[in-house]
Amino acid sequence: MTLTVYRWMLCLYPGSYRGEFAEEMTSVFLDAQSTLPPALAAKISFYRREFCGLLSGALCAHFDRLFGPAIPFRRFDMQPQFRFPRSTVLLMLVIFAGTVLTIAKASSIAGARPGSVWPSFVSVVVLMLLTMCTAAAVVVGILHALRRSGVYRLENVRGRMDSVESNGKP
Amino acid sequence: METVALSEPVLLVLLSLAEQPRHGYSILKDIESMSSGRALLSTGTLYGALQRLLENGWIERVEEDSTPRDRRTYRLTSRGRRNLQMEIERMRHLTKVAALRMARKEA
Repeated sequence: MTLTVYRWMLCLYPGSYRGEFAEEMTSVFLDAQSTLPPALAAKISFYRREFCGLLSGALCAHFDRLFGPAIPFRRFDMQPQFRFPRSTVLLMLVIFAGTVLTIAKASSIAGARPGSVWPSFVSVVVLMLLTMCTAAAVVVGILHALRRSGVYRLENVRGRMDSVESNGKP
Repeated sequence: METVALSEPVLLVLLSLAEQPRHGYSILKDIESMSSGRALLSTGTLYGALQRLLENGWIERVEEDSTPRDRRTYRLTSRGRRNLQMEIERMRHLTKVAALRMARKEA
């Protein structure tokens, strides 16, 4: 029965992944299952580990397929040199502002009576500024989180070590 | 510098393959004995790591006609070995810092 559940859970993986690894994974699962100790606790721990591993593995495989391996989903993907370019943030904000302005202009042209455009335009601009500030805060938060990652801290430690070794003092 | 494998499962998989080519179940058992039973990988975690390592060219399949499809063997590539060496070097730096810090605290 556990094998059936295992095979069913393999269906959660993307088709290409299943084609490449499903047979092998099932074989390894059966090998591992056959060498389980008789204790109930060990069995429960094994099945919990296996099924949780399958769920998270399937999720990661789908993320990889959708967004590519460049997304830092797990520690394995983090690159010590990775920095989110600040020019990209600026560019995104400019594009966003342009889009909102275009929508505002279009809606004012589409509907309305002469003279009533400016109040709505001002409110749209205020709304746009607020949204931009929120977006900027989110981006800064992400940047901050990236810079506080384990990899970044380790790189700092390494840099400090190098300077300690070269100067002979901390 | 390339992407560095940092998670413990990936590091253990690489260390297991550094010694000799192995198939999936052999990797699991080797990791278990290497970590004295502390690190127990699920098949999902193992094959997730293997897939990433294959994609990045850190490991490769040993192509043998006699090998059944459900028991394929993997080995470290020269790129994988180089990156593993870099990772070990990084960890050596870290343990050095840790030892320094602990020594200062005790002094």
